[in-house]
Amino acid sequence: MRIALVLAASLCAGAAFAQDAPKGSAERGKKLFAELNCYSCHGTHAQGGGRNSEPPIPAGYPWQGFLNQLRKPRLDMPAYEEKLVSTQEVADMFAYFSSIKAAPAEKNIPQLRNF
Amino acid sequence: MTKARKSTQDDESGLDRRKFLKGAAAAGAMTAAAMTAATKVAQAAEAKPAKPEGEANMRGDSFIARPGSDFMLDVIKTLNIDYIASNPASSFRSLHESIVNYGGNKKPEFLTCMHEESSVAIAHGYAKAAGKPMGVLCHSSVGLQHAAMAVYNAWADRVPVMMFAGNGMDANKRRPGVEWTHCVQDPAGLVRDFIKWDDQPASLQHFAESTVRAYKMAMSPPQEPVLITLDIDLQEEAIHGEKLSIPKLSLSAPPQADERALREAARMLVAAQNPVIVADRCVRSQEGVEALVKLAETLQAPVICTGNRMNFPSTHYLNLSESRPGLVRNADVILMLEVQDPWGMLHGMGDPWKDVRRAAKPDVKVIQISLADFMMKSNYQDFQRFQPADLAISGDSQTSLVPLTDAIKRELSSARASEFAGKADGLRKRHRDMKERMKTAAALGWEASPVSTARLCAELWNTIRNENYCLAVSDRIAWPKRLWPTTKYTNMMGGSGAAGVGYSAPGAVGVALANRDKGILTVTLQPDGDLCYAPGVLWTAAHHKIPLLIVMYNNRGYVQEVMHLQRMAGLHRRDPKTAKVGTMIYDPEVDFGKLAQSFGVYGEGPISDPNAVGPALARALKVVKSGAPALVDVVCQLR
Repeated sequence: MRIALVLAASLCAGAAFAQDAPKGSAERGKKLFAELNCYSCHGTHAQGGGRNSEPPIPAGYPWQGFLNQLRKPRLDMPAYEEKLVSTQEVADMFAYFSSIKAAPAEKNIPQLRNF
Repeated sequence: MTKARKSTQDDESGLDRRKFLKGAAAAGAMTAAAMTAATKVAQAAEAKPAKPEGEANMRGDSFIARPGSDFMLDVIKTLNIDYIASNPASSFRSLHESIVNYGGNKKPEFLTCMHEESSVAIAHGYAKAAGKPMGVLCHSSVGLQHAAMAVYNAWADRVPVMMFAGNGMDANKRRPGVEWTHCVQDPAGLVRDFIKWDDQPASLQHFAESTVRAYKMAMSPPQEPVLITLDIDLQEEAIHGEKLSIPKLSLSAPPQADERALREAARMLVAAQNPVIVADRCVRSQEGVEALVKLAETLQAPVICTGNRMNFPSTHYLNLSESRPGLVRNADVILMLEVQDPWGMLHGMGDPWKDVRRAAKPDVKVIQISLADFMMKSNYQDFQRFQPADLAISGDSQTSLVPLTDAIKRELSSARASEFAGKADGLRKRHRDMKERMKTAAALGWEASPVSTARLCAELWNTIRNENYCLAVSDRIAWPKRLWPTTKYTNMMGGSGAAGVGYSAPGAVGVALANRDKGILTVTLQPDGDLCYAPGVLWTAAHHKIPLLIVMYNNRGYVQEVMHLQRMAGLHRRDPKTAKVGTMIYDPEVDFGKLAQSFGVYGEGPISDPNAVGPALARALKVVKSGAPALVDVVCQLR
């Protein structure tokens, strides 16, 4: 829910979409994601989970909103300035997030059927 | 003197210790078997006088006919205390010996602990599951210092613990050296800010009266730890020249809220359009759970459980705990039942700018039923920010639930009752939707390695779902509360109280000990950082054959602190990559499976493959069902 709110705010701030993102490397983005310790909140595979029960960027998440959230985050996320994380590096992480497969539907997971 | 010398001769001629004790019993001391009957008599009838014993000890004596610690144990036995957790120490060596020989090491049984913090945390968890306190023995100085944080946890969690601290008051009798460093003028001063009561008895009769008083006070809501100091000389010197008696224990009835105040609360709740019930440390038993269900159903009011107690079944459609923000935002009347942080329920605060966000309507009416006014002290700030209430009622929440429900029924017209009944379908749908949201969220990262916390909790549930289960520590990882069907008070035992790290492992052992004889399977999700505080508790679990399924939630770090460091680095415009320094537990990584094995506990792991978790848990469950602890180390996502 928190992420969804962030997303909504970011959408207002910037109207650019995924196709507007600079070309990035998903491989470099994954490495950077680990180095920056983003996984402490967003999961090792950027899947969300734990306290934040939604992934950092759902499908169709806009590039500009993603960039805004890193530079001037809302809520508890730390800020990542250009001098610390370049726009190209942000684009790499965006490419990584965009490459992550969607979670399986819960109805297809036997262990979740008992709840 | 003469008697002691005779005993020496007997001993040398082959009389064993037991026979010696029997001889002492013949002279008036009570055997363990006799004590069982005495316990019943003392609890059921008038105070039972103890016969004066022997003579004062003098230099040159070889034996003590009947030490004061025997009488101390007689007193403790009348309180029906089953266990005393302790790391052995010389300042209570006499009582220790009385427990194991004079008392036969039964009721209480001595639990060998490897840290005083573990002793108290075991007692903390035990008390929540058993519904009565355990004893703890420690040095008044170094032992109590070790124990202090766990005492604070128990205080914040409102749990009774009977603490006993050995101390030597008479400086003329202290042995030189260590005994001086282990003696304190005012031992309880160390913990007085977070215990309910303490005393330092100067005589055995004083001990009897203060110990029974302490137990009575600890058990009266708000329940809290208490501390009795055990003077070394009182323990070790022979009982002499005293007419001793043990006062009858008579627990106080819990304080019920004022009837007129409850009527006013009932009027407010019946008139409300969107009443919400918030239950924190509200109930202490299944009876309380059922009473809260009746209250909520009468009002058709949704319930938010904070997780510190299992107040309300997660399977009930009125349990909307995971929809808290919306419920609080739309509520016009909120009934808070023993809520530790009422202000925090109505507000949020940004970090680090401390900007306050109102989470509820400005005109929401707040009713508080709480005993907070009766336990508040000045120094430690666990009482939280002041929140004015429209109707503040002092009283024990559990005891007040039935009369409040009755008052609501009296206020409820048939038309209003019909309106309430009309809400049920909508609330049922909301509950179903909430559960579906949780399952959808649990699917995220399902195949991830390390294992997602949701997957771990789902795998654990599937392993134990046919058991009468108890999750020993249930406040730190949200997924069991979100997913698991809980119907019984004993299903979830809350958390540490003060978030003092190190509670989870010993607290779970204490819960498992209480559940051992009830046929309840105890499981726990054990954070790695917490277990690293005092892992010796694994040995205690193995040694005392305490069945407990320990599932490591091993994220290899103090991850909350990683997040704090990241935020600070961002605010300071510095490198966020350094957040692992001082926060992560790797290089080398701890092998908790081997750690468990080294303490004599079945251990498996580390497991990073999510598909390997279920089979490993099934193997460990077999061990636990055979009556022993088992540990499965699962390497998990960080949150």
